Amino acid sequence: QDKPILRLSSVVSENDIRAEAFAEIAEAVSDQFDMQVFNGATLVKQGTEMTSIQRGNLEMGLIAPQTISEQIPEWSILTSAYLFKDADHLKATFKSDVGAQLLKLTEEAGIHVLAPVYFGTRQVNLAPEKEVMKPEDLKGVTLRMPGGDAWQFLGEAIGASPTPLAYAEVYTALQTGAIDGQDNPLPNDYNMKFYEVTSQIVLTGHLVGFDVLAISAKLWNDFTPEQQEALQSAVDTAIDKSTQRHIAREEELIQFFKDEGLKVYEPDRVAFRDYAQKKYLESEFAQSWPEGMIDAINALAD
Amino acid sequence: MSWEFGACVAVILMTAIIGLPIGHAMLASSIFYLLLQGHDMSIAFEQMLTGLYGSYVLLAIPLFIFAADLMNVGSLSDRLLDFCRALVGRFRGGLGHVNVVSSLIFSGMSGSAIADAVGMGRIIINLMTKDGKYPGAYASAITAASAIIGPIIPPSIPMVLFALVSDTSIGFLFLAGVVPGLILGVLLMVMNAWQARVYNYPVDDPVPLRDLPRITFRAVPALLMPVILLVGIYGGVTTPTEAAALAALYAFLVSTVFYRSVTLRTAYQTVRNSARSTASVGFLIAGALAFNYVVTIEQVPNVIRDALGDQELTFWSFLLMVNVMLLLLGCLLEANAILLVIVPIFLPTAVALGVDPVHFGVIVVVNTMIGLATPPYGLLLFVVTSITKSPIRDTIRHLLPFLAIMIAGLAIITFVPDLVLWLPRLYGYKG
Amino acid sequence: MPLFIRFKQVASVLVDAVPAILLTAMFLCFIIQVLMRYIMNTPVGWTVEVCVIAWLWILLWGQSVSAREEDEIRFDILYGSVSLALRRWFRMIFSVFLVGIYAWSLPALWDFVTFMKIQKTSYLDIRFNWIYSIAVVFSVVSILRYLWVFWTAARGDDASKAGTDAVVRKDPVK
Ligand code: NA
Ligand code: NA
Repeated sequence: QDKPILRLSSVVSENDIRAEAFAEIAEAVSDQFDMQVFNGATLVKQGTEMTSIQRGNLEMGLIAPQTISEQIPEWSILTSAYLFKDADHLKATFKSDVGAQLLKLTEEAGIHVLAPVYFGTRQVNLAPEKEVMKPEDLKGVTLRMPGGDAWQFLGEAIGASPTPLAYAEVYTALQTGAIDGQDNPLPNDYNMKFYEVTSQIVLTGHLVGFDVLAISAKLWNDFTPEQQEALQSAVDTAIDKSTQRHIAREEELIQFFKDEGLKVYEPDRVAFRDYAQKKYLESEFAQSWPEGMIDAINALAD
Repeated sequence: MSWEFGACVAVILMTAIIGLPIGHAMLASSIFYLLLQGHDMSIAFEQMLTGLYGSYVLLAIPLFIFAADLMNVGSLSDRLLDFCRALVGRFRGGLGHVNVVSSLIFSGMSGSAIADAVGMGRIIINLMTKDGKYPGAYASAITAASAIIGPIIPPSIPMVLFALVSDTSIGFLFLAGVVPGLILGVLLMVMNAWQARVYNYPVDDPVPLRDLPRITFRAVPALLMPVILLVGIYGGVTTPTEAAALAALYAFLVSTVFYRSVTLRTAYQTVRNSARSTASVGFLIAGALAFNYVVTIEQVPNVIRDALGDQELTFWSFLLMVNVMLLLLGCLLEANAILLVIVPIFLPTAVALGVDPVHFGVIVVVNTMIGLATPPYGLLLFVVTSITKSPIRDTIRHLLPFLAIMIAGLAIITFVPDLVLWLPRLYGYKG
Repeated sequence: MPLFIRFKQVASVLVDAVPAILLTAMFLCFIIQVLMRYIMNTPVGWTVEVCVIAWLWILLWGQSVSAREEDEIRFDILYGSVSLALRRWFRMIFSVFLVGIYAWSLPALWDFVTFMKIQKTSYLDIRFNWIYSIAVVFSVVSILRYLWVFWTAARGDDASKAGTDAVVRKDPVK
């Protein structure tokens, strides 16, 4: 009998830590599945993984919560600023009742989530040499954020003027001053060489960045318990390792950026957090958040 | 790779050769592949639609076309031409030099070789063939050859496409194109001077030097365009994609307010024509996006990568192989298709061998642009011969010396990376 | 009959106006985008969405509804050099292929486009079935166009003016 083919589409580049994790998963389940990994969004375009799985044209995808929230508005809570404290908080939330509640919604949409995949905490990276301690200090600062209103609102929620821009254009735009800054996890700042054209990194930690590794729910339910167990444990092992490597990488990059002459410092995070959560609760996004969920997630912080 | 993939490629080639428009050939053959595989046939459309919807940087294409068309209807192109004639028209083969120099200047405003050829190219071809001074085939050949330079000097649509597939900084790619573009321009003029001697082409009536200030003054608004674009991009006003819109705005303002040569009616005609050109060129990209899925699902990149891995290529032999392969592919495939489908196959190996991605980008773009003019399949070749109505065979004969010297230029660019990377490094590129 | 001709003229103007208006909108959006960011310091995001939608529609509308022979980019080394009779055969063969493939895939395309109502665009909240509906228009119109191409070729008309000059626009340069 032929092994089931699992095609995974992700946007990460071939040399990313997560690409290694996917390769490890494919290796670990190779007895039971023919898992083919397509990185760099070469198989399906970024943001279309979910619909491709739903239409049965793709088996697995690394899906951004922003993409899911376009279909399931309740998920937009996971894209809000200062929701998770760190990667542990993220994982704990997905294992909790709150997580079960959110995963039930994706299950109904035909998507079975295997694990949240942490890829770093987003920090503000600026070209001008102004000190930023409070959200008010970011007033009028043109901050590149990914396209889409959920992302753009995230920029507003920390007090900046967000502007969308293609990822490949960010470096030049920072260099020429078309934008003042951008926000990304530190490993991205390193990969895209943003540190060459910026003067400081403000450790706002405004969003714990993650995607979910997901599989077609129909496919998953047709698997034998042994197959489910094999895939799930391979995912858990590889993703835990990937998360640890990301955290370690962020630690060492702080020193690297300091050595490169950048100012790297922590602002008044409480001020940022209060400002952002207030903005979100006043916004249309919060209207779709399930009753009491934000408190439940906050309670899981420790 | 499956037999279905072979069938798909065969059908593309066959239908294209018997005259099915190329965009349709690629889209329909991709659907045909899905049908053979028993997959959902809508995937081809989905890939095309989501690919177009998600590719923000492609938006520069219609705006550059619009800017070039505006330059033609507002007399910007004419004034630029007068200036070039006054400058180099006094030498043997002078109009040939004008052709090259105007392409160099025009290249600062258009990101597209086709736009250059149908814009400035058409005007110069008319001048060259008037009174039988130059044979139509020679005028076609040098127009095609010089239009190649357009997208090598910034701004450049192919470089935007390369940045899209390689995540390379567009700004540095643009800077890296300047020196190679100038080198190729000089080489073409050398070849033109030689050809003019061989065929004894006439000397243009020299423009009196006392007229030069007046002609220069008249051309100032057109000459300012590249300056404005560069200031726009490097002064932080616009991104390179947005600069295309700035170019169009500038051409529009100059020709309506300053020269008053564009009325509302001609403006509408221009925008309508630009939209039509956009659709023609863009649909080739759309077809390539559908076919891209077939190539990916067949894991063609992996197959080629494995084959490359067995070759034990060195830095230099890899670059040599890429150049030969791309030049051969350029004879058969469309430039955008090469950039979107074939180049990603080479990228990982290039990076692994330590080839600088910006240098690699310039090599690839020069290569694919030369491919635009190489027979049998060269879009530029079709465009220019259709303007002069001279037989393709004659045009190819006149084109060969120019292609030969362009390939020599490509070799220089490939094997002297410092020529390419000097300017980007001056602006802080660490590569 | 004059009424019919008049109708054809009006229809042709309207058909051409769609991509022209879309390109104008795209141009204006880019200008607004730059102005809002650089001058007003309040960047906007919706302009990008208008531009990508316009781009999609210009392409697919322009290659179907308002497409003309001379706008089609084709590989015409062989096609342009063979006899008219052989060229008619070529036209018949590729029309059959294209009509067959597009017609066969039409239900699947319809299914995809209607499915996409599940998602809305980010800023303007337009459902994607509306955005992607242009693909259905494209497919249906292409089927009709190539049925016509087949019909004219089969009848022996030389409806095609597409020789080696197929690539270039016929409008005069100023
Ligand atoms: Na030229
Ligand atoms: Na250019």
